[in-house]
Amino acid sequence: MTVPPRILRALLRLYPPRHRRAYGEEMWGAVRYRSRQTGRGFARRARFTLVAGLDLAWNGMRAWVAYTGGVMMQGWAGIRLDGLFVLRTLRKSPWYAVTAVVVLAGAVAVNAVVLGFVRGTLLHEAPYEDPASVMVVWGSNTRDGQLRDVISGPNYIEMVREARTLSAMAAFHHDDTYLTGGASPEVTQSLEVTADFFDVLGVRPLLGREFQVADRTSSAPATVLLSYAFWRDRFDSDPEALGRSLSIEGEPRTIIGVLPEAFEFIAPATLYTPLRDDILEADERSRIHYHVIGRLAPGASPDDATRELSGIMTRIAREHTGYEGWSVLAEPLHRVAVSAVRPAIWTLGAVVGLVLLIALVNLATLFRMRTVSRAGEISVRMALGAGWTRVARVLSLETLGLALAGALAGLAAAPFLLERVTRMIPVWVAIPDSAVRVPVLRADLDPVVGAFAVGVVLLGAVALSLPGFASAIRGGARARSGRTHRALQGTRVLVGLELALATVLCLGAALTARSAIRLLDTEVGLEDRGLLTLWVGDVWGLEYDDQATYFREIVREVESIPGVTSAGVIDYVDFLAEDDYARVYFLDRSFQPTSSQREEWRRVGEGLFETAGIRVLEGRSFTRRDLDGAPRTAVVNEAFARKHYPDGGALGRFISTHDQAYRDLEIVGVVADVRSLGPAAPPPPMLYVPLQGSPRGTTGMYVRVEGEPMAYADAVRTALWSVDPTQPITGIQPMSDLVGSWVAIPRATSTLISTLAGLALLLATVGVFGVVAYAVRSRTSELGIRLALGASPRRLRRDILAGTLPLVLLGISVGMASGVVAARAARAVLFGVGPADPVSMTMAVAAMTGAALLATYLPSRRVERFDPTEAIRSE
Amino acid sequence: MDTEKHLPLKAAHHLALLLLAQEPTYGVSLMQRLEERSGGSIRLNAGSLYRIIASLVDDGLVEPLEEVANPAGVGAPRKLYAVTDLGRSVLRAEAERQEGLLEMARALDLLGEKR
Repeated sequence: MTVPPRILRALLRLYPPRHRRAYGEEMWGAVRYRSRQTGRGFARRARFTLVAGLDLAWNGMRAWVAYTGGVMMQGWAGIRLDGLFVLRTLRKSPWYAVTAVVVLAGAVAVNAVVLGFVRGTLLHEAPYEDPASVMVVWGSNTRDGQLRDVISGPNYIEMVREARTLSAMAAFHHDDTYLTGGASPEVTQSLEVTADFFDVLGVRPLLGREFQVADRTSSAPATVLLSYAFWRDRFDSDPEALGRSLSIEGEPRTIIGVLPEAFEFIAPATLYTPLRDDILEADERSRIHYHVIGRLAPGASPDDATRELSGIMTRIAREHTGYEGWSVLAEPLHRVAVSAVRPAIWTLGAVVGLVLLIALVNLATLFRMRTVSRAGEISVRMALGAGWTRVARVLSLETLGLALAGALAGLAAAPFLLERVTRMIPVWVAIPDSAVRVPVLRADLDPVVGAFAVGVVLLGAVALSLPGFASAIRGGARARSGRTHRALQGTRVLVGLELALATVLCLGAALTARSAIRLLDTEVGLEDRGLLTLWVGDVWGLEYDDQATYFREIVREVESIPGVTSAGVIDYVDFLAEDDYARVYFLDRSFQPTSSQREEWRRVGEGLFETAGIRVLEGRSFTRRDLDGAPRTAVVNEAFARKHYPDGGALGRFISTHDQAYRDLEIVGVVADVRSLGPAAPPPPMLYVPLQGSPRGTTGMYVRVEGEPMAYADAVRTALWSVDPTQPITGIQPMSDLVGSWVAIPRATSTLISTLAGLALLLATVGVFGVVAYAVRSRTSELGIRLALGASPRRLRRDILAGTLPLVLLGISVGMASGVVAARAARAVLFGVGPADPVSMTMAVAAMTGAALLATYLPSRRVERFDPTEAIRSE
Repeated sequence: MDTEKHLPLKAAHHLALLLLAQEPTYGVSLMQRLEERSGGSIRLNAGSLYRIIASLVDDGLVEPLEEVANPAGVGAPRKLYAVTDLGRSVLRAEAERQEGLLEMARALDLLGEKR
């Protein structure tokens, strides 16, 4: 059997017709000759088929290029002439040109921005060795509903010893730190890391060395690694900085290395100091304090690690109290970094996809109407001897020119659009089910994204307009009548689709807008307007009494500023995703503990609730007597009271804590819940105790002012430094910014979707307008005759409306049904409204129907200006 | 006749034109002779062969003679391809061009005395 395989015959059919006619049979003869020459044997036949197939395919493509190139390039003169012709016709219908370019530009720009976000976040790859195997290891405190929590030092050490699914593990602690030795203390971010930290990430320092085993013990000399930016700004990129000393919180540390410029981590820092194993091991097991990362051992999966580490945790829970219900969750670091923005990006991606589709359908409609309305001109040109290639060239020159202009305008607009969108997005975002905030990854608008955005839009536009083209050319020589009707039918289907898609978006916009309003309206539990927040003090070294005195003094100084109504201290500022837990013992009448639970607690000073605007619901707030001497009283929030005293009667009960200074405290008040993890998250139960028992050495401060909070920043600084000029002050910002950062993503999502839905509505309206206007024009003679026979313009208008109504109704109904389904899938971005929210649905239907009716009414008014005789003569 | 724009000829085009200048030939036998004459270095398949023929025909260097019945008496009729006057002029111009190059190579003594 030496007959060539059939596939080769099929490949021959792909050649341009002219080439096929001239050489097809002979080529097949040559193929058969080679086939005979090849002989038998599977391997030889296979090789022959492959070689001959590639040869035919490759040369077939070249033949097409030569062929069409020849047609397209019938001399530059021809092209220039056609180009001028295109420009002239476009100048005659500027609205067509402008609409096409604007729609294209919008589609390209929006597409580029969303693709940029997808590339910069979801597709972002951290510069680690094999980044996919770097895991974050969370303690999962399922009983308190905190899926992603920190881990205690001794537990970490046990995990490191026993874990086989992770080849390396490291613990770290992120904090503000003070650079001392300058005029006033300077605050920066530091990361305390165990020696294996950079090994887990697979990152080597740019200069010097990383931490080594020698750095693991407390007796080792104090060392520090610098971030690239810090080294560049502080040491002017001087390699001699290695070995020099840096004073951090009063302790001199030797600089041993500089990290690479591209290094990044979910907890950004400028200074990296060693966290010693012996300190971790000696730490209290109840002090849950450290974040942990690990590198998967070869062959192990995140699930394997979760299972193994949870097993270790279960054993720990059996041997030590306080870990009932704990497990461990290992998840890829990259997933953690984007977890907060992923739903928003997917939703936006889907929405932009819809808008893109609408824009493309709109373009296709536009091109279609354009070619159909030029059918007369085309048939005249063809009758005068223009070949179809010539007509195709004119049409493709026009489309290509518009597409190019649109793409360029879109690419030019993309960076501006991106900047606007970026401004709406917070710098920090909280990881779900945790008290951790990570920096939001940024969009990446590079040439690949730009090319991709343009490519998608142009390919879509070409694919959707080709049928219109082909029919215009094919039918060019034929008569016009009848065809316009068919073209109109096709266009109506496209516009119906457009209406449906726009309805989906309008519903989405209404839903997200309502959910954003719900979020913004949610009471967060304190009065954030007119409230300034800051961190102050580094007085860990002082006796507790002296610390308490210092905090009282700074409050007094700040309150003496004109315009400041009151001030108060709290050891952790709300809405910063900080958490601090106490073990709380619930006592009976004889002060015996009946049960214990881990709960969040805050140490507060005088006037804190009043300053923050946290309402007292039952009992009273702390008074001066509570805040003097050993603490005897406590205040709890509503969530705490509801959780532990479900039948009411929290007042008068007694509790103790793990801390010696807070024993036998009487609950004297119940205050409103502060939704400190954002309005969408349930408020955590909270225990408030007087600060003087065991202050924290540094404290948050709330300052209630009249007017704009930031206007008081300098005065507050001066007042604080008048008490002690060596104390660092950080994080001065209005509380409303902190609260706002929790709703920024939903708000940005809602704004973006609403904007895009507006665009979709506009596009769909333009689409309906175009179809109706075209229908009216193509029915000129019919309408003219009816007018002449005495039909009233009103009646004709009603008929036109009736003709469009089914299309509009069908489009909107299909859109509504798909919209509810889509909203169900995107429920993660909704808050307080269901996917089938009746108000949102009504809003969407109203907007769409209104727009469609307007789009029908405007062109139908043309009927009134009809002159019957003119109308009949026009045909 | 403007021969310049066809120069220089590509190796396969050149050899095919020379072979056709010897005598009008069918496509398949041109394929065989190209392979023989080039010592196996120009082994064309159907696609490449007819791309070359098509480009020579389009450029007016070669023309198909009328179709004749397949010599074996079976299969489709085939065409003999022959060099046109323009084709001959181009071959001559190419030869002159190469002769000039050869002269230069000789002057540089690249070919050696012993040849």
